[in-house]
Formats: sequence, C-alpha cells, structure tokens
Amino acid sequence: MDDLKAAATAATRRGFLKTGLLGGAALAGSLASGRAMAEGDPVITEIQDWNRYPGDGVDARPYGQPSQFESHVVRKNVPWLTSDTISSINFTPLHELEGIITPNGLCFERHHAGIAEIDPANHRLMINGLVDKPLVFTMADLKRFPRENRVYFLECAANTGMEWRGSQLNGCQYTHGMIHCVMYTGVRLKHILEEAGVKAAGSWVLAEGADASAMTRSIPMEKALDDCMVAFAMNGEALRPEQGYPIRLVVPGWEGNMWVKWLRRLEVGDQPWQQREETSKYTDLLASGKARRFTWKMDVKSVITSPSPQVPIVHGKGRTLVSGLAWSGSGTIKRVDVSIDGGRNWHAARIDGPSLPMALHRFYYEFDWDGSEIFLQSRAIDESGFVQPTKDQLRAVRGENSIYHNNGIQTWHVNKDGGVENVEIS
Amino acid sequence: MSRFPELLLGGIAALLLASSSVSAADVAAGEKAFGRCKACHAVGEGASNRVGPHLNELIGREAGTVDGYSYSAAMTQAGEGGLVWDEASLKDFLANPKGLVKGTKMAFAGLKKDQDLENVIAYLATFSAEAEKKADGEPKQEEPEKKAEAAPAGQAPEPTATASAASPAQEPGAGAHFKLGREATEAEVAAWDIDVRPDGLGLPEGRGTVAQGQELYDENCASCHGDFGEAIGRWPVLAGGQGTLTDERPEKTVGSYWPYLSTVYDYVRRAMPFGNARSLSDDDVYALTAYILYLNDVVDDEDFELSKDNFASIKLSNEDNFIDDDRDSEPHYARDIEPCMTDCIPGKAEIKMHAAVLDVTPENAGDDDAPAGGID
Repeated sequence: MDDLKAAATAATRRGFLKTGLLGGAALAGSLASGRAMAEGDPVITEIQDWNRYPGDGVDARPYGQPSQFESHVVRKNVPWLTSDTISSINFTPLHELEGIITPNGLCFERHHAGIAEIDPANHRLMINGLVDKPLVFTMADLKRFPRENRVYFLECAANTGMEWRGSQLNGCQYTHGMIHCVMYTGVRLKHILEEAGVKAAGSWVLAEGADASAMTRSIPMEKALDDCMVAFAMNGEALRPEQGYPIRLVVPGWEGNMWVKWLRRLEVGDQPWQQREETSKYTDLLASGKARRFTWKMDVKSVITSPSPQVPIVHGKGRTLVSGLAWSGSGTIKRVDVSIDGGRNWHAARIDGPSLPMALHRFYYEFDWDGSEIFLQSRAIDESGFVQPTKDQLRAVRGENSIYHNNGIQTWHVNKDGGVENVEIS
Repeated sequence: MSRFPELLLGGIAALLLASSSVSAADVAAGEKAFGRCKACHAVGEGASNRVGPHLNELIGREAGTVDGYSYSAAMTQAGEGGLVWDEASLKDFLANPKGLVKGTKMAFAGLKKDQDLENVIAYLATFSAEAEKKADGEPKQEEPEKKAEAAPAGQAPEPTATASAASPAQEPGAGAHFKLGREATEAEVAAWDIDVRPDGLGLPEGRGTVAQGQELYDENCASCHGDFGEAIGRWPVLAGGQGTLTDERPEKTVGSYWPYLSTVYDYVRRAMPFGNARSLSDDDVYALTAYILYLNDVVDDEDFELSKDNFASIKLSNEDNFIDDDRDSEPHYARDIEPCMTDCIPGKAEIKMHAAVLDVTPENAGDDDAPAGGID
C-alpha cells in the first residue's frame, strides 16, 4: 500500500508540473473556468490515479459499503424530540435517495427500548388466546410456510408531526423521513393464525415484540387475515437488527407503530387490548378535546425530495428536475401534480418505475427555471380518489394538536440563488 | 438485574475494611442507596449501557468516555475539559448533577444526604480496577456460580425440549394445516401472556396500596417522571393536565387523557422501570398503579388499596372522549372531486412562516432547544 501511495503522490506531482507548463489557469481545475476549459478539463486531459493504479481486491470488502463520497447520506436524529436515543427516532435521508426502494441501512429507526439483539436460534413465535391450540414456532418452522415477496412503504404515524403548528424543520429528511419502502420476504399472517385455528369469537390479534418495551398493538382480525405478513427478510437479506431481526410484522398501508418488530407473540381475542401505544399514544387529539382512536390507515401523501432544503438548486437557471415520492395506504397512486407557484397552477408529474399498492411511487417533473423565486408543491391522488389535502385544510378540521397523520401538502420556497426553505404560504 | 455485586462483595469486604477508610457497612448501604440509580445505570460483570452509561471502572475514568454511550455535549466537554471521576468529583456531581455539569442529560435531581453520597461512591468503587486488583482475582472464581444463576426462570423452561424443536423435525408438528410448530405449554403461555384488558382480563392476583406505591415510585420512577409525575426533561408526564385537552398546549397524562386504568398496569408491568423491565412484582405494579391514581387525584386516601377485585370498578374520566376514526368524512376527502389545475388561488403566494425562524433543524440547534411540537 505504501508503495502505491508513494507512486500516486509522484504521479500527482508529475501532473502538477505538466499543468504548470501548460499554463497557470489549468491549475484551478475548475469546470467553470473558461480558460481552463479552453485547454480541456483536467480530469479528462490528465490521467487520473484510478485510471492507472489498481484498487482493492475482492477480499477487501466482504460486505460492500457505499462510496466514501457518499458518507453524508445517513440517518439523522433530532435530539430535542425525545429524552434519550434509546427511546427515539431517526430519519431516512429521502433527499439523497432514488427510485422507490430504501436501502436497508438507511431505513429510519424508531425504538422504544433500543435495538434488541436476538440470536434467531433463541427466538420463538407463540400464538395463544382464542385458538384451538396454542402453538410455538421456531425460525425454522416459520421458513417452511408458503413464502411471499411484497414491496410496501412503512410510515410512522408521526411523520410530519412536528409541522402541525407551522414550518419547523428545514429538510425533507426531517419533515418526511419517518418512512421507508422495501421488499419484504415472509409468510402470510393468515397461514400462521390458521395453523393454530382461530376460534369463532376471535376478532382481534395482539402482536407483541420481544424487546425491552415488549411493544404491543391490537390489530383487527379482518386486516390480520387480509394482507399482513410475518417478514424475515428485507430487500433480499435478513432484516436488520434495528428493523426487528429476526422477524417483524408487516401491516401494509397502516401506521408503522403496528409493524411490531422482534415479533414474539400473537394473541387472539374478542376485543382490543387498549395498550399504551393505542390509547395514550397514536390517538389523534382534536380541537374539540375528543380524540380519534384506531386511526390505522396512512393517508395519501407526497413530498418533493429534490430540490429541498438539504439539496438546493446549484446549477442556476435553466433545465431543472423535480423529483419526489408519493404514497397512500389506500392502494396505488393514480396521479401526482406539481406546482411551482404555490398551488396556483398545477402540472401533472410523470410517475416512473413500478406502481405498486401501498408502496412508494417516484415522480418527476422537469421544467426550465427562469431564476425567479418559486414555491414548489406536490399533490398526490390515489386510486381510491383521495386527494392530498393542504395543511390548512387539515388544521381547519382537526386543530393543531393531533401529532399524527399530517399528510398536508408541503411547500418549499426556492429563492433566486436556488436556496430552499420549508415555509407556510398564503 | 446484576447479581455480580453481591458475589463480589463477600470477596473484597475484608480487604476494604483493612485497606481504606471505606467500611463494609458503607458499601452495603451504598448498594441499597444505588437502588435509586439502577433504573438507568448498570454496574458489575456484563453491565452494559442503559439509559445511562455502565459504571464499571468509574473511578479514574475521564467523564463522558464510555464506548457506545451517547452523552450530552455538556458531559463530553466536561471530560475534555479535564473532569475525571474520583471520590471528590463524584460527590459533587451526585449531590447536584446539573450543578457540576450544566446540560447533563442525567435527569436525577441529586442525593441529598452526605452519608448516602459516600456510601454510593464506596459501592461504585468496588467495581473499579483498584478494588478489583486488591481483590486478587476473586471475581473470576465467582464466574461459574454467576453463570449457573444466569438463566432466569421462565425464559426457557425446557432447554432440551426447545433444542430438539429447533433441530430438523422428523415428526409432524402440531399445526392444523401445514403440521408446523408445536403446542405451547401452560408455563410458556403464562410466562409471556401478561397483557391486561380494560375489562380486567389478564389481571394477576395481588394488591398494593398508595403508600406502598409511593415508596416504589420514589425509588424506581421519580428520576425520570418527577416526584409528582410532572416529569423531568422530555420524559412522559404522568399526572395533572386535567381540563387542558382543548388548550393550545394540552397536557396528556394518565389523569387527563388515558381512557383506561388497565393500560397503566399492563404497561408498567411489561416495560417499566425503563432500563429494568419485568423487575417489579405483581403486587408492586398494583401499588404503583394505585399511587399514579393518587397523583392524579382519582383516589385521595393513602391507605387506598388496589387489587384484582376492585380494579375494573375504577374508571378514568376521559374514557368517553375517544371516538372512532372518521377521517373519511372530512370535507377534503370527499370523493370524485376533480382537483383544481389552473388559477386555483387568487394572488401571488406570500410566505406566512419560515422554518428558519425557529432554527431547530439539528445542524443549527442547541441541545436545550425544545420547540413547539415534538413527537412522543
């Protein structure tokens, strides 16, 4: 390695001398420099180190990591939100991602007692309650059930929850990053329940995690038998520990809190259990003082991921690409509209890539930016005909203390320099 | 959780008596006083970081340097500034944590009595290298005993049976269709099925009074939830807030918001105290639940005893204010409305509010900023 480095340094020095001979302007090495361009872009006209010297061999990176130049693309915490990182949340860097699939290492995390580290050999899934026969499954047992692959988004009900009273956070990572979308591999919950035999009175399922918060949620039997899964893999590999390794519940289109991680028990009953996470939390307080409960479904929603506050426009006026995500707990996205004038006029965006029910959809809108101040918005419409509302429409009905289920239209203000800010507008 | 302290104590007590001003009585009393710290800190063999960092090798450690623990910026800076934990600095810190390190995230208010301070420090010193060295390898000999004790009852009642269940099964399983799985034993179901419903289903036998609950609360809960359930920092508020649900800043507590008392019992039993879940007895949980009722003025007698028998008769005042999901009826969700495409709003868009004004995006924010709407 030392030899290689020495050689590389020498090469750079030779390059330096050569450019020196050609003229000082080339030293700037800047694409913007007209004089440099007259001679040619040095990354083209000069032989680069990576073009001459071999890199790492196949044994150097047995589990590959992103390029060193992508090290800023990471999940981030908002420290003031919670008392301790053990019971907290971090956010998916949506502004740096493409397509509809979230890389496993960037899927946002929400734990109530930290990450449980469980040896799959010591993990069991129990079914008890109103069943013909209470059963215990090992991981090996679970992997013998019929298997399915499904792409679904998982959104925390509190995503965008900090914006109820107005613009708070500058970045779609923070305003909208409690979401990810991966392909799950697992077995249908229906098959597991039927294996134990659900009694006629069984109308609810309690799902419980094995972590130190023993997370629990009540799920109506109709949903449990419909499309819920017990997943052991995401994006082709085992679940990550922070996503519930070895198994988690998948509850398509419904709030993330119900997707119990480190799933260890399913209990069948004839009424909901009214657990902490479905009474004191994940209930939506209205201005009247009443609170909605069991608001499971995630509503139609979209956000422009670029440009956005963390990724401003740096190319100046001219051809500009708007990229964003849309999703709905009611199915597929039928259309996404984009506005550059704060909702005065709308243009149908182009949905690209697979359009799968209860999965993220990628949309693009291309236009020629004239360099003036603009207000970017996106509005999604799902296959059921639900139209994404404005934040003010939501506030008019619900007040500002609901915390959860804020799916209002997001506004990004782009100033003349291309800088982007989270704003509320008239 | 850690059983190591007791085992270690026997081995080094004599030495401590002989070698320092710290008496064995101090260490034993310190261990008891440490009960107030245990909800957040682990110490002893295998201790790991919980809400707070583990406290092994504390004496002589630079502040804010335990691997893998996420300290407040203030604590890290204090360590970089030269704060090292010794008897004197620990005494200052434990007497008034925020007094010594302003901005520490340790929510504990401080030990008031000098004697408690000295005892706790003496106890913690037994887990630092100096004491261990003097103990002359004694702890290592204790290891086999620790291991024998380490498998808590109820985790794997039949190790051999479960092991064979995990190996390739020759016989068909107990399931109805695919013949997968095996039948759960009664002991297994009992070990995991601890949920409690509003109608009382799942409540265990037991009882506890407000007064008993207060003692348990002070020891296990007050360091995060505050002496009166008012909470410290961003930990959950447990009491008060009645009549605030329509306010601009509602306070949602057990007394003001929670619909069912069973949720308190269920949650405390499964997840509290934070960092040491499942450590309370069923009677303890009855007592704590009774005390939370008392903090919320639902009961006003310190002799009030909550039990399986009277539990379901207690109603919380906000129960009737929960309604079913009716989002679909909101006007903006009226179906078959074709959204407006052109000239939808008159006039040019004007900015009403900037996120930059609040300046709470992480890269810009100070640790102490606590803006309008957090998540819970």
